[in-house]
Amino acid sequence: MKLRENNHVVGYLFAAPFILGFLVFIVYPVFSSLYYSFTDYNLLESPNWVGLDNYRTMFTDDEKYMKSISVTLNYVFASVPLRLAFALGVAMLLNKAISGIGLYRSAYYLPSLIGGSVAVSILWSQVFGDQGLVNSALGLIGIDSDTSWIGNPATALWTLIALSVWQFGSSMLIFLAGLKNIPKDYYEAASVDGANKVRQFFKITLPLLSPIILFNLIMQTISAFMTFTPAYIISRGEGGPLDQTLLYSLYLYKRAFVFYEMGYASAMAWVALIVIGIVTLLIFQSSRYWVHYESKGDK
Amino acid sequence: MKKALTGLVSLALVMSMIGCGSNNDKDAASSAPAASSPAASSAEASPSASEGDNKDPVTLRVAWWGGQARHDYTLKVIEMYESLNPHVTIEPEYASFDDHWKKLAPNAAAGNLPDVIQMDISYLSQYGGRGQLEDLTAFTQDGTIDVSSISEASLSGGKIGDQLFAMNLGSNALLAVVDKAMLEKAGGTMPTQDWKWEDFTKLGPIMKAQGKILTQDLRHDVFFPFYLRGQGQHMYAADGSSLGYADDKPFIDFYTMYQTWYDNGNLLSLDKLAQKKGTPEDGELELGNAVSTWGWSNQFILSSSVAKRPFEILPVPGWNDNKALFLKPSMYFSIAKNSKVKEEAAKFISFWVNDIEANKIIMGERGVPVSSKVKEALKPSLTPDQAKVFDYVAWAEQNSSQMDPPNPVGAVEVDKLLKDTAEQILYKKLTVEEGAAKFREEANKILAKNKK
Repeated sequence: MKLRENNHVVGYLFAAPFILGFLVFIVYPVFSSLYYSFTDYNLLESPNWVGLDNYRTMFTDDEKYMKSISVTLNYVFASVPLRLAFALGVAMLLNKAISGIGLYRSAYYLPSLIGGSVAVSILWSQVFGDQGLVNSALGLIGIDSDTSWIGNPATALWTLIALSVWQFGSSMLIFLAGLKNIPKDYYEAASVDGANKVRQFFKITLPLLSPIILFNLIMQTISAFMTFTPAYIISRGEGGPLDQTLLYSLYLYKRAFVFYEMGYASAMAWVALIVIGIVTLLIFQSSRYWVHYESKGDK
Repeated sequence: MKKALTGLVSLALVMSMIGCGSNNDKDAASSAPAASSPAASSAEASPSASEGDNKDPVTLRVAWWGGQARHDYTLKVIEMYESLNPHVTIEPEYASFDDHWKKLAPNAAAGNLPDVIQMDISYLSQYGGRGQLEDLTAFTQDGTIDVSSISEASLSGGKIGDQLFAMNLGSNALLAVVDKAMLEKAGGTMPTQDWKWEDFTKLGPIMKAQGKILTQDLRHDVFFPFYLRGQGQHMYAADGSSLGYADDKPFIDFYTMYQTWYDNGNLLSLDKLAQKKGTPEDGELELGNAVSTWGWSNQFILSSSVAKRPFEILPVPGWNDNKALFLKPSMYFSIAKNSKVKEEAAKFISFWVNDIEANKIIMGERGVPVSSKVKEALKPSLTPDQAKVFDYVAWAEQNSSQMDPPNPVGAVEVDKLLKDTAEQILYKKLTVEEGAAKFREEANKILAKNKK
């Protein structure tokens, strides 16, 4: 008996760094942010309780807030499917047994390693700048362009989406693992029965991969909602021309650290949390109609 | 389960106590060398440093924003101060303008602002009015900050009401930097000092024929308020709770003119402007694509040194209407309310504005010095470009009126709103009239909200 209690103590002792860190850096900030979201906290003075004012302003009296929501939704709905499709496509290519495949895999994964970093965003603003790579490439095929793609309201958001698609590596790796798990004899049987490649893809690959797709979809959707660095760096913290790249997190950041409205920013963060939660839940709910688990035996 | 919880809680307590303990240890450890090294050096300097009471080692945190050139010379001045005051150790904290303010805000919330803070006029009300800054009046009265050779007008730029929250580091005036050689090569003539906005507009086609633009852009938050002054109006009401004007005509006039320049291709297109870093190195004038750049006088030196071509200075058109021209403190030093070494901070500021040797390093980079003694002493060693700026500011001083009071709280957001509105006008999402009305309404809302 005594010994068992001691065992607990040792366990907690080892877990203590995490538990303390969790309390201090997660639990406390989360709850203080909830409190601040009901105040007018401006960092310089102590907060005053304003009830639901921040939430009310957000939805009834803040044009930019609405703009940032529509920008973010556009971004999520365009970038996530594109990114997943791209990742799956490349994963299928890399699933072939050719020599030097390891090298190709590393090369394609590389952009994700340097992923959300500042350096890539700066590189991106060069690539899509008025004297950048894209315009030079267009020049080579005879299209004369000196527009700045990141500064043009019509294309600014698409440069961000392109950047996100380019960083497909981590979802690709997971897809690759999933593809490797599909037994080869399924395909052999199908081809004996006369199914072509396209049919095999839709009847074998996609259903068997659907749990992996679900996982990637959820992870990528959440991270797309929280995208910040590229929008911040590429638009120099401004949110781009006519607010075309004013992603939700960027607007939240501006409210907090440029205008010093911590209360409002906290309220925004809570709304984001709830919305992301709901979207994730919806994806989960929908999954029963399209995700196929072999173990359930519902073939 | 209960047992486990109590165990957890007591463990947390123990750990936090250990945490505190080790923190204290660390403090002691880190302050020990800091304490010993000045002591050692003051022992060497004992003959001069024998005044006694100010020998306790002091650490001053000094924070500023700027580019690399400013960081370099500021660190030199700090070194100089430390060698003259061996008991003082200065911890420099520097960043770009945006990052400076992003760092200050959380520090303010934690009551941990640096002792000496470089302050900007657009944030002065925010920090001063919300109890974050020390009133410097006591220090100027007892001579800790020597203001004997500084005029009242120069000092007043750092005041809110009758409290002096910031010490002016130098005077600035608005100007246009013009590439005379480029203009004349294009067949234009250099405008006179009394030029009007129409004269600037007329240069547009001349430069365009050469494939050049008039200027990159005019900063909206600077030049629209200036234009308003020329119309006898002000950007902000005296109490800061609303805009200072109710009639949209000046806004419509200014932005109609601005839109004409833009539509004629005399300004940098917005998509390219969005990419500009705002440093002289990527400025259109400096790169030789534009005939002018518009800004504050202290930026002239950097522009011409980057471009390596001689430029001319012209006052802003309409400077004489209603005495629109004004002198503005380029930037300030303030002392944080939470500072524990306010007197030492005040001594450092006094050194900065009054010491001639230090100012020979600074060379008016933070604006023309406020001390008349320093200004005189620097004159012989000025480069021709620096002399141009000193002369222009001296001329402006004779031809200017009182500047507007520091921008009210919320002005940072209003400035962004103005820029957004101008952008929407230039992209033709709004007509000038719609933009004028929308800006006025929303700006008033922001200001009212912040006033409470």
